[in-house]
Amino acid sequence: MTTTGIPAPTARRSSATARRRPKHERQGAAWVFLSPWVLGATVLTLLPMAVSLYLSFTDYDLFNPPHWVGLRNYAQMFTEDPRYWRSVLTTLTYVVIAVPLQLALALAVALALKGMKRGKAFYRSAFYAPSLLGASMSVALVWRAVFNDGGTVDHLLGTGGWVNEPGWSLLAVALLTVWQFGAPVVIFLAGLQQIPAELYEAAAVDGVGKWRQFVSVTVPMLSPVLFFNLVLQTIQAFQVFTPAFAISAGKGGPADSTLVYTLYLYDRGFVASHMGYASAMAWVLLIVIGAVTAVLFRTSRTWVFYASEGER
Amino acid sequence: MPGHRTKGFCASAAALALCAMLAGCGGSGESAGGGKTVLRYTWWGNPDRAERTEKAIALFEQRHPNIRVQTSFSGYDAYKQKLATQAAGGDAPDVMQLDYRQIDQYASGGVLLDLGRQQRVLRTAGIDPGLLATGRVRGAQYAVPQGRGTETVVYDVQAWRSSGVPLPGRGWTWDQWADAMRALARKTGKPGGTDPGQSEDAFEVWLRGQGKALYTKDRGLGFTAADLTRWWTFTDRLRREGAVSPAEQTTQLDGSVENTPLGRGKAASDANWDAPASGYGALVKSGVALAPMPSGADGTPGQYFKPSMFLGIGAHTGHPGQAAQLIDFLVNDPDAAKILGATRGIPVNETIRKETGPRLTGFDKTVAGFQASLEGSLKDPPQAPPSGDNALQTTFQRDYDQVSYERMSPRKAAANYVTEAKAELRS
Repeated sequence: MTTTGIPAPTARRSSATARRRPKHERQGAAWVFLSPWVLGATVLTLLPMAVSLYLSFTDYDLFNPPHWVGLRNYAQMFTEDPRYWRSVLTTLTYVVIAVPLQLALALAVALALKGMKRGKAFYRSAFYAPSLLGASMSVALVWRAVFNDGGTVDHLLGTGGWVNEPGWSLLAVALLTVWQFGAPVVIFLAGLQQIPAELYEAAAVDGVGKWRQFVSVTVPMLSPVLFFNLVLQTIQAFQVFTPAFAISAGKGGPADSTLVYTLYLYDRGFVASHMGYASAMAWVLLIVIGAVTAVLFRTSRTWVFYASEGER
Repeated sequence: MPGHRTKGFCASAAALALCAMLAGCGGSGESAGGGKTVLRYTWWGNPDRAERTEKAIALFEQRHPNIRVQTSFSGYDAYKQKLATQAAGGDAPDVMQLDYRQIDQYASGGVLLDLGRQQRVLRTAGIDPGLLATGRVRGAQYAVPQGRGTETVVYDVQAWRSSGVPLPGRGWTWDQWADAMRALARKTGKPGGTDPGQSEDAFEVWLRGQGKALYTKDRGLGFTAADLTRWWTFTDRLRREGAVSPAEQTTQLDGSVENTPLGRGKAASDANWDAPASGYGALVKSGVALAPMPSGADGTPGQYFKPSMFLGIGAHTGHPGQAAQLIDFLVNDPDAAKILGATRGIPVNETIRKETGPRLTGFDKTVAGFQASLEGSLKDPPQAPPSGDNALQTTFQRDYDQVSYERMSPRKAAANYVTEAKAELRS
């Protein structure tokens, strides 16, 4: 390859390749290293998503080949299925109960932990443990036993079984999620430690009380972290499944009171074998979560304060 | 050329990764046979059934050294879902245990093999024709019943006797049953039994007692909203009177005997299938007895002998002959029957039933005696329920929840159910 031709052009060409080659090789290497991810994302995420989108326009029932039915699943969902709307309402109620409750509790615990001098590590792990355990089925079943009639809560408060009362059952589901507030606690704690101590010192010099410090210093300085937690927890709350499934033994009862969106989706897909309908439901959920997140981002402009804004 | 080498390396790396993944997905089952034919056999049940099944399988493998059987089992709900996904992926097991309610869907979805072609190996002559017919869809035999069950009123003998209420007996009607529930509640201070309003099975017995059926021959709904309104009004009134279990208890029913009011010591009786009723033995210390389900006002019996479980063969199995051999062994072999006992209901093979009958002990014996007492007096079982019924069973329960929690009138809930059922059966 190098023996023919006039020396000068060769030199010019080789210098050109020398400049280009490293970039080319880097790209190749990048693709090699990326390939497991690209493959995984394609085979396990993008492809199934595309298939699910296609199925949402069909009457696929797991056993017979899918037939194209156009928008029928979507039309049926919105106009002919009262249980669908009940599941929407249940989920919205759940989000409105669980998210603020969880964030308030997480913030309170984070504040308490921040001021702690000794044993911080112990309490931090103690509060984080439920987040690791809570997603498991066994804990959810214990939860169900606790709130069942004849269970612990019944004995202590004499309220009867919460999980058998349509008016209380959703709260029992929400409490199971709220109890797993470890992740937001850790994030809040990290955020709290980022707030410069001078701000508090300055506030103290000005004679500002604890509550006013919290409202005027802590909350604005923490607002980006608060926003992050809010978005994350809201997205998660919309997809709540395990606690509702475990507490109602997969039925969404009593009287459909814990029939959250994903549970109804599961019921349509795997119990009633209406995969097409379930796929359509999944896509509506995706769009709604996207929309809610977008709205949260839009409103964040008015209340989230970034310290760097002052410097710009 | 360096460029080429990179590209080639890239492609082969990707191919390698893909191969690894595909191998990971597809390599299960077939490889471990060691030259033998490997059959996959899946079923649902509990550890007791598992132990007996494993013993029977060991005997089968001993007799057929060239066949190895891989078994797996789980609870009913989990099994149902797993099997549905496997079937959808074209990966149904070679031999699978099926429920009455699955047969229509699986047969029409092309998941099951027509067993008519395996007649040489799989003998069905010993099975009652009426029972055998329940495994037939559009004229073809897709599944073979394995056991026979029937519904029963299980009751706490001591509670019932000491209350002074006459013991339930043959030919009692639904009105007599309701009176007994009221009397029990009055005497014992607890509901007489489980509220049967949530149970599609109990409703079917009530309906058949009037000469009607859940489904028509052409897979339509066999009853009207008015029928269902009458049933739910009947049960709802008993619930309001405290004669049957309150909503908070009824809603806890999940198919296990532990969560029934009788099992939790909160009622004196329960309507259930006879095979699971053995579980009450451990829960009700004073002992339980079985009574027939109430019949219609003119004495028409509503209950029937139901094939409790079926066996079918996957349509895409590579070894239809061996799979049929396994089914034949499980259903017709006397030694297998000895091991299996009544773990899947009373055996369907007449000869085996006569042979094993006297050998049964404990609750198996009670069930066998109960079934014998009904022999000849019941009507033929209905044909296998249409596909949509699988989902409707749950819907039935949910709609009744709305009634028992007094959020809906029986009439409104019944109208809802009938609308949904018609939509479900159409699709």
